[in-house]
Amino acid sequence: MTTANRADAPPVRDHSAKRRWVGQSIRRVEDPKFLLGRGGYIADRITPGTLHAAVLRSPHPHARILRIETAQALAAPGVHAVITGADAAELCNPMPDFGPDPARHTWRCLAADKVRYVGEGVAVVVADSRYLAEDALELIEVEYEPLPAVVDPERALADGAPLVHEALESNCAYERSFDFGDVERDFAEADLVVRDRLRWHRSGGQPLETVGAIAEYDLGTGSFTIDTNTLSFTSYLFMAANTLKVPANKLDIRPVPAGGSFGSKLFANKPAVIAAMCSRATGRKVAYLEDRVDNISNCDHHGSDRIYEVELAMMRDGTMRSIKIDVIDDYGAYIQFGVGHHGNALAQVVGPYTIGSVRYRVRAALTNKNQQGAYRGFGSEVNNWMLEQMVDKAARELDLDPVAVRRKNFIREFPHFIPTGNVYDSGDYDRVLDKALELADYSHWRAEQKRLREEEGRYIGIGLISAQERSVFSATEFWFWFDDPGAPVTSTPESVSLKVDATGGITAILYSCAFWGNSPETMVAQFVAEEFDCSPYDVSIVYHGSRDGLPATGPGGSRTTVMLAGAVEGAAGKIKEKARRAAAHLLEIDPDDMEWSEGGFQVKGDPERKKSLAEIAIALHLFKHSFPADMESGLDESKVFDHPYTTMPSADRKDLGVFYPFMGHACHVPVVEVDIETGAVTFLHYAAVHDCGTLVNPRSLAGHIVGGTAQGIGTALYEEFVYDDDGQLLSSSFLDYLIPSAMEVPELVIGHVETPSPYTPYGVKGGGEGGRMMAPAAINAAVNAALYPLGVRLTELPMTPERILSALRAAGQAG
Amino acid sequence: MAPTTCTISLTVNGHPHVAEVEPRRLLVDFLREDLGLPGTHIGCEHGVCGTCTVLLNGASIRSCITFAVQADGAEISTVEGLAHDGELHPLQDEFAAKQGLQCGYCTPGMLMRACEILAENPDPTPAQVRSAIASNLCRCTGYQFITEAVIGAAARMRATKEAAS
Amino acid sequence: MKPPPFSYAAPTTLAEAVGLLTEHAEAEPRVLAGGQSLIPLMNFRLAKPGYLIDLRNVAGLSGIRREGDILVIGAMTRMSELERSPEVAVAAPLLAEAVGLVAHIPVRNRGTVGGSLAHADPAAELPAVALASDADLVAAGPAGSRVIPAAEFLTGPFSTALAPDEILTEIRLPVWPGGHAFVEFSRIHANFAVVGVAALIDLDGDRIRRAALALTGVAPTAIRATAAEGVLAGAGAADVTAAAEAAGAAVEGLTPAGDLHASPQTRIALARTYLRRGIELATSRARNER
Repeated sequence: MTTANRADAPPVRDHSAKRRWVGQSIRRVEDPKFLLGRGGYIADRITPGTLHAAVLRSPHPHARILRIETAQALAAPGVHAVITGADAAELCNPMPDFGPDPARHTWRCLAADKVRYVGEGVAVVVADSRYLAEDALELIEVEYEPLPAVVDPERALADGAPLVHEALESNCAYERSFDFGDVERDFAEADLVVRDRLRWHRSGGQPLETVGAIAEYDLGTGSFTIDTNTLSFTSYLFMAANTLKVPANKLDIRPVPAGGSFGSKLFANKPAVIAAMCSRATGRKVAYLEDRVDNISNCDHHGSDRIYEVELAMMRDGTMRSIKIDVIDDYGAYIQFGVGHHGNALAQVVGPYTIGSVRYRVRAALTNKNQQGAYRGFGSEVNNWMLEQMVDKAARELDLDPVAVRRKNFIREFPHFIPTGNVYDSGDYDRVLDKALELADYSHWRAEQKRLREEEGRYIGIGLISAQERSVFSATEFWFWFDDPGAPVTSTPESVSLKVDATGGITAILYSCAFWGNSPETMVAQFVAEEFDCSPYDVSIVYHGSRDGLPATGPGGSRTTVMLAGAVEGAAGKIKEKARRAAAHLLEIDPDDMEWSEGGFQVKGDPERKKSLAEIAIALHLFKHSFPADMESGLDESKVFDHPYTTMPSADRKDLGVFYPFMGHACHVPVVEVDIETGAVTFLHYAAVHDCGTLVNPRSLAGHIVGGTAQGIGTALYEEFVYDDDGQLLSSSFLDYLIPSAMEVPELVIGHVETPSPYTPYGVKGGGEGGRMMAPAAINAAVNAALYPLGVRLTELPMTPERILSALRAAGQAG
Repeated sequence: MAPTTCTISLTVNGHPHVAEVEPRRLLVDFLREDLGLPGTHIGCEHGVCGTCTVLLNGASIRSCITFAVQADGAEISTVEGLAHDGELHPLQDEFAAKQGLQCGYCTPGMLMRACEILAENPDPTPAQVRSAIASNLCRCTGYQFITEAVIGAAARMRATKEAAS
Repeated sequence: MKPPPFSYAAPTTLAEAVGLLTEHAEAEPRVLAGGQSLIPLMNFRLAKPGYLIDLRNVAGLSGIRREGDILVIGAMTRMSELERSPEVAVAAPLLAEAVGLVAHIPVRNRGTVGGSLAHADPAAELPAVALASDADLVAAGPAGSRVIPAAEFLTGPFSTALAPDEILTEIRLPVWPGGHAFVEFSRIHANFAVVGVAALIDLDGDRIRRAALALTGVAPTAIRATAAEGVLAGAGAADVTAAAEAAGAAVEGLTPAGDLHASPQTRIALARTYLRRGIELATSRARNER
């Protein structure tokens, strides 16, 4: 059945060493500058003389551009250039695109011949200030020929639908069905097949800071230097260089701190390309900072937008046998990451359960909307929601306790390979569930639920979900969708250089490492401190740009902590190896008789004969003649840390190999009350227990759990990019795209469980996405539990008051 | 034809300024670019998110929906005025201690709003703090550690006041 | 999202302000009060006044005073001042409660009562309060002052009876210290309301002598619910069915527009629920006063 090699697991590590810094909730190293208002975000770095760009956005969802008149705009005060989509198509190649058929669903930084969504840019003005640039935008005349818009993904896939890309001859950008294991047999043997149709509408990261770039084209060298708050996949930046029609070694992209991302700044190159194009056209430094409407309508980072038809094969005793998933995903007008979001789903498609077989059919529909990008969870959070809805439905149909059904199917032996071929490295799902039930005061709330309904006619629901939070993706998930991929890439490295100066002070260089509100500096500082017995606050951290930096992939898929841990471990290992030899040489001892202890190398068991790191460093820096000929001066080393556990998919794709091995897990238990007169949902309690392996900074991880849960609350109840039937974007500002405030987010009771990964330094796993990967599923479960007595079950997110009241009306339960 | 400008005089973090501004110049842009105080950030530019919050005569306002000319004669306080002689304001220190920030972008506005909250009520309950900070959106933290930080700062500020009297 | 250019003046007298409105009429001038409604519209470039007349330096436009049974509030009075005013709390608790629901404190620190009324957002709280309270609005124009009853003031969404050369100077609110309630449904705490209800209940013994009810979010402007008021008149204060019946009467014949937040059907349902809740709350407060 599978031809994939299962023998390629990395060696199992021994995590028994005592730790001094890893595991401590120290104050973050990053914080002082942000607290003082000196964060250095992209908008803070605009120097005098920099010009400003503003983009003219299409008011039509689908239209041919017949004519653009720019003369008036060009003559407006302070304007240096006006570039139309047609101009841009000459100045630039199409955008970097990992989609299935970029030649036929071609994506450009500005629309050239037709616009494909409301908000798509058709021209850019460069002026002395953003004020003047926007004044000039109003003077551009565009003649459009409106075309019929296609908005509903099912209609987009039907025959005769208007085509978003004529060259593609279809609005289906990708379709394939995968079978893992013996689905037909498992369904034939099932006692019950539970069916449902589920709808998850698109929401998005919407960080408080938009995407921005400051670009400078150097005529002398023909190079671009771009400062931007988006950066990742540096080895793929040759694609962005190609967009700008320069060789890859003439493009340098430098990361600056971002005011949040949640995925929406991942490889978000369009603002950088626009700024760079404008810089070359004007000969000046140009800043392009999206405003909020740009970011909502034109950011290329909307989240998943799915319709599921699911069948779950169950045995009467609650055993889950198999699942058939048929999903349509509305990708919008372009498909820059292909169906990678479904790879994320396949990494943990069976959840924490011993489901034996899976059929997964995915169809990517194109419509006249802003395209999907990345949003915390990258598609796996949707699978979690779908699966947990099905489990609860199965429990109801079988008249079994939903908690018991979950326990009955828990995976308990690790490492465990799921039907798709991915591995779950470690876990203890019972322990997480037990802790969650305890923190949730589960039996108390069950009693309260009953009492409040009987005595006061109130509708309380307890949601309980058990789900996975994968971490550290492999490059294979970009291409195992195709039997004959053009580029079967296998690299997703992260790099760190460590430099020990002549005083013994340590500098860590992070390459193209984005600060998004995750804590890369604190992580690295804690790892370095752990390795070298110094204070994390004494480590100097520097961010290096792309062109002359080591390869890096950046944040995404909760990979940063593990990958930085590996890179620091690797670099530290090399430093210590050289330092050991140097110390041994200075003490005239065999290097094998030396051991690292308390900040230096000593003769084994003899602290009297020791050289501290500082002593070793000054000698290496200044006293070359104290060392053998083959020992170079200085003490700095780098490590390019590649994904430690990736295996290839089988040729028949019945086994996708290992591509997301470090598997976290969580249980969320919200208690909600639904006001059946208004459709309002309020939280009475919320417990969340996460297992992300060994925690580096528990407080920091807890912060991500709360923040991720808050975004999950948004996805579950408030946030939606709403396009009407004509393709108009109705939620184009924060007036209508509703972000939860402090009053919508309850206080969370948080628990930690740690089952270390056998394969990573210290046993760490990623955990940055987990809160959002759990909360929508849990909240939907809670609302359904509350409304069960009324015969109402919600299967569409967000569960707005409108949807809740409509469902109640349909069930004859609302006034 | 150059746009007409107005002369405004205002005090920012205790420093007097006289400046020529276009009437349409938003206060947030004036502070960030004309006065070189980039600590106040822009989130939405339509007065919803509160990222741009500063104090005007001690009262919190949204500087993205205020023209600089409207601040003529006023005393403005921004995040840059919180720390003194290298020492963090108790709110800033508590935000660090409790990890009440992740990306830091909403933080200056949140700090200024917190100053107003504690000036009005030096001993708030967590529920009161949570209700009061609902004016300022945060996309990272989920508000829990921010609430803890404000409560922590309130206690320290009360103790300092009591010690002084 | 930067605002378009405009000419600007900050006059020091009302006469000067009115004069400027007339003098620059062809520039589509607007008055700038707190700017909390106008400036966002300008940042979106949905409003492009050629001339802004800033009222912040005009003397005599803010303040709260009592004239017998009337509470007189200057149009430039900041909402935060209203919120904190002990006078308003006693004389017009409906207004105090409604003001506390207008957005958040940073917005109320700048926003003015006159600005909110003149902006006439169909979802706004204060126009409903003015309607329910039978307030009089005083406007100053080139020909002098005139009084506009609240019932005539709101003419459409974002549109009032104010002439282009008139400035709202004062709100005169009949004192109603008794049973009051302002309740509203918003999706996010303190965001604009989907539906809102202003309720005033006056009791005579244990009967409702008079009720005044106004609704937001169900029509192009805030509206009085006169049919509902009729149902309540004479009803027993403890009569729960009267409140429900009144709520039903109020929504009869309403044809609210739907939007992405609520369909017409949902708005009607929410209006009924909040009317009932508002009436019940106002009535219970009226009873507790006794």
